[in-house]
Amino acid sequence: MDQTSSTEDFIRQLAEHQNRLYGYVYSLVGDHSRAADVVQETNLVLWRKIGEFDSDKPFLPWAFAIARFQVLAHLRDRKRERMLLDESLVETLSAEAGQQATQIDSLREALRQCLQRLQPDHRDLIERRYYRSMSVADVANALDRTVSAVKVALLRVRRQLAGCVQKRLAAES
Amino acid sequence: MSGRIEELELLLLAWEDGTLDDDGLERLRGILRTDEAARSHFLQMQMLTAALRLEGDAGLALPDVETLGVDAAPPPRKAPPSRDRARRAYRLAAIVAGLLVCLLTGRLAWLELTREPTASLTLTGRAVDQPTEEPTSLGIALVTQLVDVDWGDGQDAVEVGDALSPGRFAIRSGFAQIEFFCGATVILEGPAEIDLESAMQATVRNGRLRAHVPPAARGFALNVGDMKVVDLGTEFGLSVSPEGADVQVFDGEVEVQNRTDERRRVTAGRGLVRKPGGEIEETAATADEFVDFADLEARAQNQQDSRYARWKTWSESIRSDPRLIACYMFDEPDSRRRVLESSLLPTNPELDGAIVGARRVPGRWDHKGALEFKRPGDQVRVQIPGEYGSLTFACWARIDSLDRWYNSLFLTDGYEQGEPHWQILDSGKIHFSIRAHERKTKEAPHRVIQSPSFWKPALSGRWIHLATVFDIETGRVSHYLNGRVLNRQTIPKTLLPEQTRIGAAAIGNWSMPTKPDAPFAIRNLNGRIDELLLFSAALGDDEIRDIYENGKP
Repeated sequence: MDQTSSTEDFIRQLAEHQNRLYGYVYSLVGDHSRAADVVQETNLVLWRKIGEFDSDKPFLPWAFAIARFQVLAHLRDRKRERMLLDESLVETLSAEAGQQATQIDSLREALRQCLQRLQPDHRDLIERRYYRSMSVADVANALDRTVSAVKVALLRVRRQLAGCVQKRLAAES
Repeated sequence: MSGRIEELELLLLAWEDGTLDDDGLERLRGILRTDEAARSHFLQMQMLTAALRLEGDAGLALPDVETLGVDAAPPPRKAPPSRDRARRAYRLAAIVAGLLVCLLTGRLAWLELTREPTASLTLTGRAVDQPTEEPTSLGIALVTQLVDVDWGDGQDAVEVGDALSPGRFAIRSGFAQIEFFCGATVILEGPAEIDLESAMQATVRNGRLRAHVPPAARGFALNVGDMKVVDLGTEFGLSVSPEGADVQVFDGEVEVQNRTDERRRVTAGRGLVRKPGGEIEETAATADEFVDFADLEARAQNQQDSRYARWKTWSESIRSDPRLIACYMFDEPDSRRRVLESSLLPTNPELDGAIVGARRVPGRWDHKGALEFKRPGDQVRVQIPGEYGSLTFACWARIDSLDRWYNSLFLTDGYEQGEPHWQILDSGKIHFSIRAHERKTKEAPHRVIQSPSFWKPALSGRWIHLATVFDIETGRVSHYLNGRVLNRQTIPKTLLPEQTRIGAAAIGNWSMPTKPDAPFAIRNLNGRIDELLLFSAALGDDEIRDIYENGKP
């Protein structure tokens, strides 16, 4: 493969796997904007290492390895900030995180179907919390409910969504 | 659910909300350190949250080509608040990619590349995926018959069953029957041009038409210049040309309103000609100048016959295409056998399908057969031996509705390495997958390639042509509706099987080889199929188009 088409292939793969990288990183850092930052850093590192890119080898394991390294670097660089996981937990969880992140497109598709089946007020709750990033307190305020009632409701809806998604994914394969 | 998992979920919710204290954080980590099941559950929850975030934050999608611009200059950025960092990061990544591609290969390659990732990333489809209100449709009239129609310039071709919205409707030649939502029916004879205004009213610019207005639709009005023809429950003809307008009443009565000459009633057997100067002459009606409904029906029947004949000729030739591995033409409407004959030439009865449940019904044409799949067990069982590479699936289907999560077109029993599944999701996306790895391996089983949603309720009960091409060399999968590409995406090399195979499979349903008393997933199609072709090759766009053109009813 000549260099141009190899570069093209690299970019194609990089673009195609952005969601999987995000899912992988998010599951290890548990924060949306941090995850997005780490993904971007990972993109840049991958780009610098394009020389190591071999289009005959699977892209994703390589990208995940670099993303894992970036997550660890992120933890070290921000010692003063509170992080969800520590280094050893990141190491423990990273392999399975990679496996699960590979399926994020199927998961999203299943999620969309499952969201459709939610009661309107439950979907509204999810949209406020995750689409509009409202805090639980803000959601409670907006809906004139108590914080603990919203928490309980969110937990329940998430559990329901998770159950539905797992069933759909199982049905797919 | 165990108490620890429940506790973990609570702690995680607090973490996400920024309200978790240090003790809580330590507790959360403690659970993860010591409990393997909790770790798995944690990752599932995290992945779900990530997916929700991806759904919610449109900024995470790669930008459209339009927003990036041909020169890939970064879009002007407002001073972004900190939670926009994510958005920025993704945009930057996309721009880096965009810049490089533009530099290297120009705009075309950029279009080609972006189409693929954005197809799966874009969130604009959400309105379709997640209706929050009762679905709505638009239109004031329906096209119910088209015979030998040649569409003029500036008129998008419409199909029988399409709803028409207010606006210009023009044909260069042929006949179009339009049913207004008020109940009036109009046969338009080309060349003709009319402006649809409401369910009760239209303006005729030129051409000849016959209108039938049942009592329920009384008051239906056609404008010609400053003249208005109001129907009082009848059948009449109207011809508009530069020489003037000619109204002829065949049955009942119409009222002609004019700016100068207030109102005139025209009764059955009489006519009225309005000259360009405005003067009006009374005439006798000559009904045979206007094509009537029986005549149109006969012409439509003729068109059906000739289209069926064309399809028949084409189908005779395609049946011996050496690339075909299975071919079912469903062209045995009178057969009482519970066998779906293989149409492949040379004949091979081994490929005949066994009909289970499905009913024989008329197909695209009255003389042609089809099978109707309705109940959970309805299907056609087939056995197709051999190992192949690329595959092309093509079928004519009439879908009544997409009731199931997965609505089957053609699926192998079970789902082993190299076996394809071709189905439609309830969201209206064609869903193609082929298992790449054996079950034992830990690797992902496949990469699903979906089309964008093509389904809309107006397609219900209409014959449509669906096709999917899988190229095993490049991994490229293309989905088609009615001969046109819906989208293309590539399965990565690591998720490509070396060979493909079919073996035992079902048309219109999915069978799992399970224990006899085990429940089965309900995946039957709700609708009809009247042609199914399966090729051991990746057909080109032209060939798919050809199958559609030769088979359209």
